[in-house]
Amino acid sequence: MSAGGHPTNRRLRVEFIVSLAILLGVAVLPAVVTNAYWQGVIVVSMYFAMLAIAWNILAGYTGQFSLAPAAFGMIGAYATGLLAYYYNTGFAIGIPAAILVSGFIGLVLGRIVLRLRGPYLALTTLSFAEIMRLVISNSIDFTRGDLGLNVPGIFQDRLPYYYMMVLVLLAIQAGLFYLLRSRAGLYLRAIRDDEIAAASRGVRIVYWKTFAFTLSAAICGLAGALYGHFAHFVSPELGLLQQTGVVISMVVIGGLGTMVGPLIGALLVYVASEFLRDVGNYQLVVFALLVIIFARFFRAGLWGIVLAIFGAKRARPAAVAPAAE
Amino acid sequence: MLTLDLLINGLIIGVFYALMAIGLSLIFGILKVVNFAHGEFYMVGAYAYTLSALALGISPWIALPFALLVGLLLGLVVERLLMRPLYSGYTSWGVMRDEYAVIVTFALSIFLINIVDKVVGPYAFKGPALIGISRITIGPIAISGHRLIAAIVAIVVIIAVALIIRYSFWGRQIQAVSQNRLGASLAGIDTAKASAIVFSLAGGLAAVSGALLANIFNPTPDVGVFPAIKSYVIVVLGGMGSVPGSIVASLVLGVLESFGGVYISYQYRDTFGLFILILFLLFRPQGLFGEKAREV
Amino acid sequence: MPCLAIEKVSKAFGGLKALDNASFSIEAGDLVGLIGPNGSGKTTLINILSGHLVCDSGKVELDGQPIVGLRPEALARRGVLRTFQLTRSFPRMSAFDNLLVSGCALGLSQQDAEKRALSLLEDLSLTRIMNLDAGQLSGGQMKLLEFGSCFMVPPRIALLDEPFAAVHPTLKEIMSGFIRRRHAEGQTFIVVSHDMPVIVELCPRTVCMNAGRVIADESTRAVLTDKVVIEAYLGEAAA
Repeated sequence: MSAGGHPTNRRLRVEFIVSLAILLGVAVLPAVVTNAYWQGVIVVSMYFAMLAIAWNILAGYTGQFSLAPAAFGMIGAYATGLLAYYYNTGFAIGIPAAILVSGFIGLVLGRIVLRLRGPYLALTTLSFAEIMRLVISNSIDFTRGDLGLNVPGIFQDRLPYYYMMVLVLLAIQAGLFYLLRSRAGLYLRAIRDDEIAAASRGVRIVYWKTFAFTLSAAICGLAGALYGHFAHFVSPELGLLQQTGVVISMVVIGGLGTMVGPLIGALLVYVASEFLRDVGNYQLVVFALLVIIFARFFRAGLWGIVLAIFGAKRARPAAVAPAAE
Repeated sequence: MLTLDLLINGLIIGVFYALMAIGLSLIFGILKVVNFAHGEFYMVGAYAYTLSALALGISPWIALPFALLVGLLLGLVVERLLMRPLYSGYTSWGVMRDEYAVIVTFALSIFLINIVDKVVGPYAFKGPALIGISRITIGPIAISGHRLIAAIVAIVVIIAVALIIRYSFWGRQIQAVSQNRLGASLAGIDTAKASAIVFSLAGGLAAVSGALLANIFNPTPDVGVFPAIKSYVIVVLGGMGSVPGSIVASLVLGVLESFGGVYISYQYRDTFGLFILILFLLFRPQGLFGEKAREV
Repeated sequence: MPCLAIEKVSKAFGGLKALDNASFSIEAGDLVGLIGPNGSGKTTLINILSGHLVCDSGKVELDGQPIVGLRPEALARRGVLRTFQLTRSFPRMSAFDNLLVSGCALGLSQQDAEKRALSLLEDLSLTRIMNLDAGQLSGGQMKLLEFGSCFMVPPRIALLDEPFAAVHPTLKEIMSGFIRRRHAEGQTFIVVSHDMPVIVELCPRTVCMNAGRVIADESTRAVLTDKVVIEAYLGEAAA
């Protein structure tokens, strides 16, 4: 039973390999999808994938259901945007700045909300997100408010952005793989499952919850900055609660608490939403409905369904009440 | 006199906020979850009232109870379909039942906003006033007729609800289930029915609030978002699960916003409530009157 | 120096006095039973010892160092580990991972933790279910697992809160056998229990509490025939 590696690590390895395969598929897609518009769609879906992965680290793996991922994306986007607007800096300064600023604000917020769970945490992060958005939106003198900011690009053509996003996603997934296999992965999941038990066994709750919050915020900030440079534009709309709703949908549909779920969810949901947009702008209706259905009936998401189909031994999260002895 | 005007207006807005907040508070009391789709019950009420009165030509005084009915029904349906897992022993979400509620109600909110957007779209007209007189003067204060009557209706409804919860048979069942679900069920109370009644009632109250305010805020698909956020602030401020707390906090918030909007900043008046919310959640999560925050 | 010194510890919840100047001490290597009728303050005391509650007044010292006010994780790192009356585990992690958490959090390298976990599972006859999620285990297995996680890194003192409550006799045997073996190696225990036969069998010494106070602290035989103890449980007439 012990030979051949720890079962949890085996599962993670499978998920990592699948992630690699998916990213490889995305990487070669431009050979087939030559339409620049659709390439752009996939780039944006990769932006969402980063937000989804970040939110999943916080919610799916650590159990902190924050409603602020889109807000942190917006903060990162504005970090690079404002620097460019006032100091004419480019992405080389803007992107690291975005990571640092978002990460720092995430650290502070994470520390503040340590003792909150469930609806209390959701409400606090929701308020934070709205306050951030309202402040940026109303500080017209400083941020140009709803008019948004123009952001310098990185490349001349669209395609290099595409590959940049793939590479960054790859790096994020690889980092996540490493993290989850390490003791950090154990601690985060323990905190999610039972914080009191984790504390009584020596897990440093404060440190790890703050760590998860900071990491999640930093990744969101990075994603926001990358998106800003791609779109050459940032606006407070990035931080709308609606966007957080989209991110959450992607993770729930893809598979909350799994490594590859957010990736699948984001790519599928966003691309599908573009198709639906052609049909008549029903995408949010459909996806909200899907989230409800998945949350209600398919807790493990699409990835869980895939695992179930392929008969993996422990496809479901523990769902059975303790059997009689 | 400006101060009195601001005060009265603040109190009146507060009364409308209270209608929404009471429902949210009751839901929290009985199911221990925050309903993130509460704003959409408000929105549905606003649409039901406005559409039935303007498109079907019914008198506003009939459109109002119609909106109430729609709200009651919606609340019931949502509770039956989505909230059951919270207490029926469904273990897929296990200890994360709170998070299930957050996700499901949040998604429901987005669903309702967008489906109304697709099916009806933003409505160009304000809801009809309950009374034709546009300005009534009482002593030193001038106020719109609709606002006054609507406020009176709201107060009547609030008092009715408070009395029902306090003294009626089902009201006391609800109190029991809110205090101790297991105990209540052991005592023979139908907890599922109590939950259904509460959710339904909350839906109805929010719908009435939406209907009454439809004359002031045009019905649009996301018209419920801001009122909802205010309700969260109020419910936390007044104490999750405390009806009297919600009422007091609603009035306080209404007055604060009224004065703050004029004396501090009109632009940021919506952020006051949010700041208060964060402060309370951090330092006094049980609010002014509520039950002590549940432990993890 | 005693391993654990509890001095005049008091704790009140609103108007209710859960602990009222409770005092006793434990030497390293002791195996002490903690008994008392319902509401006597046993679990409150354990919660204070493990850092989940802070006492209103009094001193608690571990190896001479004051520990009042330290958080549970800090206390765990100092070797104070406990089980809960209502079993706690990590339901969506495998039994194996459940043990790993304890091992890694207390400083073991991942390899050592894995080795230790495997041997513990062996000791507790849980190897068969090691890859099942803890939430899928039976109640007794979960209890054994929680019990086992106290011993990934031998604790300075193991606080067991009702470990035998509602447990199958076979599992009870496994646990008491384990406790006896470890005790023989010098492990210090406090065992809270209502199960008198097991206390008599396992613990040479017993502390009895009632209404927040320590009313008896002597050899188990003596405690059970102590008038004060009998009165606490059965009332004056029976004493």
